[in-house]
Amino acid sequence: MESANTLCQGGECKGGVLAHLERLEAQVSRSHAKSEEPTVQEKESSLRTKIHKLRQQRDKLRAEVKQRRARVKASSANEDPNKTVEISEQEVLERQWETMKATLQAYRFTGLSGKLTSRGVCVCISTAFEGNLLDSYFVDLVIEKPLRIHHHSIPVFIPLEKIATAYLQTDIQHFLFSLCEYLNAYSRRKYQADQLESDFLPFLTGPVQRNALCNLLSFTYTVEQGCQTSFSARLVYEDLTASLPTDVTVTWPGAEAPSPHWEERRASHEVLFRTKPLHQVFASFSKEVEKLDLSLVS
Amino acid sequence: MDPEARELRALEAEIAALQRECKMLPKPEEKTLSGARKSFQKISQSDSEELESLKDLKSQLGHLKSELSFLSKLTGINIRNYSKVEDIVDTEVTEKDTKKVLQRHRLSGNCNMVTFQLEFQVLEIETKEKISSVITDLSIIMEPTEYSELSEFASRAEEKRDLLMFFQSLHFFVEWYEYRENTFKHFKEKYPDSVYLSDGTCSDCMEIHSARQPGFELMIVWRIQIDDQGKVFPKLDLLTKVPERALELDKNKVIETAPLSFRSLLGVLGIEAALDSLIRLFSAKND
Repeated sequence: MESANTLCQGGECKGGVLAHLERLEAQVSRSHAKSEEPTVQEKESSLRTKIHKLRQQRDKLRAEVKQRRARVKASSANEDPNKTVEISEQEVLERQWETMKATLQAYRFTGLSGKLTSRGVCVCISTAFEGNLLDSYFVDLVIEKPLRIHHHSIPVFIPLEKIATAYLQTDIQHFLFSLCEYLNAYSRRKYQADQLESDFLPFLTGPVQRNALCNLLSFTYTVEQGCQTSFSARLVYEDLTASLPTDVTVTWPGAEAPSPHWEERRASHEVLFRTKPLHQVFASFSKEVEKLDLSLVS
Repeated sequence: MDPEARELRALEAEIAALQRECKMLPKPEEKTLSGARKSFQKISQSDSEELESLKDLKSQLGHLKSELSFLSKLTGINIRNYSKVEDIVDTEVTEKDTKKVLQRHRLSGNCNMVTFQLEFQVLEIETKEKISSVITDLSIIMEPTEYSELSEFASRAEEKRDLLMFFQSLHFFVEWYEYRENTFKHFKEKYPDSVYLSDGTCSDCMEIHSARQPGFELMIVWRIQIDDQGKVFPKLDLLTKVPERALELDKNKVIETAPLSFRSLLGVLGIEAALDSLIRLFSAKND
């Protein structure tokens, strides 16, 4: 047994190499295992880094969200006021426009209204009898020196020339109001005659004779329907700015003088026609008739 | 779980939530860009139209304003406020093709020193043949209320619903009023020692005192009347204040007949000349 032992002279040699190899092997495997499993220290420090990183990210996001939220709020608050200011200026102006237009229209209730034209002004004169709004007329004035009437719708029998000569150049207001007086008086006279013809036909025993200016009326009438006696009336309106006659004559038809009873009536009628509008006089006649009827019935 | 792990979890969760929210909110740069783009669009597209229409509206308004002020000067009547309150269409069709519309109007303004407030209703009846308008109700409030003639006239106009006549007569009344005021002022300035206006120039009386004879006084009462038909005319009267002794001495009854003589004087000379001659006569009067 010299061969196994003959190799190794030192005694340990043969067992020493193998053990050495085994020892190296173990070392290598140990270091491998070490690299796969971090140490507790390594483990702790990496967690901390991660937390730190996440904290940073979170703060950044928080700031971003805050900024965006604020911007949204600000812009939504900013947009509308500008808009509303614009709209309300428009609205305010539009409302003003409407009010002014309406006020211009309202002037017709005063009798005089008008519109500015390129040449001057077109004045509209309205007429009425008490609450009844009647015809309107216009005068188109050219504003230059001298002032002149371009065209108009004034009836021929109204003395426009006379009024214009008197006032147009010196006092437009006076000219217009004077014209207004004449036109209104004419309109009112016409209205009374029209009413008589339309509403009180039963009282008339003949046609109503009238001229264009309606300042001369002549008619025959009875006070009661079916009554034989009829008066004849003649109304003269000398004052063309008045709608009540200046001169009234009521005459008894027959050749003989009327009885005192009829004379009284005739005289009272004269007074009535001179002081009250024509159709209202006849309205009072019909009321009297009604009263009589009622008294007869009762 | 140890605290650090817990913190980690919490951070992760919060980050996830914040990221979600961020996605929902618009990015700041985008927002301003789109906002600016939007308002720019408004400016370029509709604002130019808006500016045009605003300019147009403003110029139309200016035109209307000048029309109104022109009318106000022309008529002497200044309408400050006007509104149409209602438009009621009367659907009760009694006859065929008859349309009835009831309008309520409110109007206020002034004619020189007189302010008025009116409320009235207009009924418009439209038939095949014609359209007729009738004032069915009228209420008038006028100030100042000291002018008794005006308030009587106003109530008469209300009764008759004669709106037009109200305005016409108001105009003439104010004209006469101003004329009276100016005439009184003129005489006060011309004859400061003889003429006395105890109620001021706006009253209806003018007194003439004799400087030499303190007991003698003349009073001119100048009223402005409006008749039933709306005609406005002045009515002047002369009143005398004379000591009894003078009356006894007045054989010719000059003083008694003075009022009547004054009336005829007015007819001959007109108001101004008549007053002038009266004042001069009285100032120089010797008896």
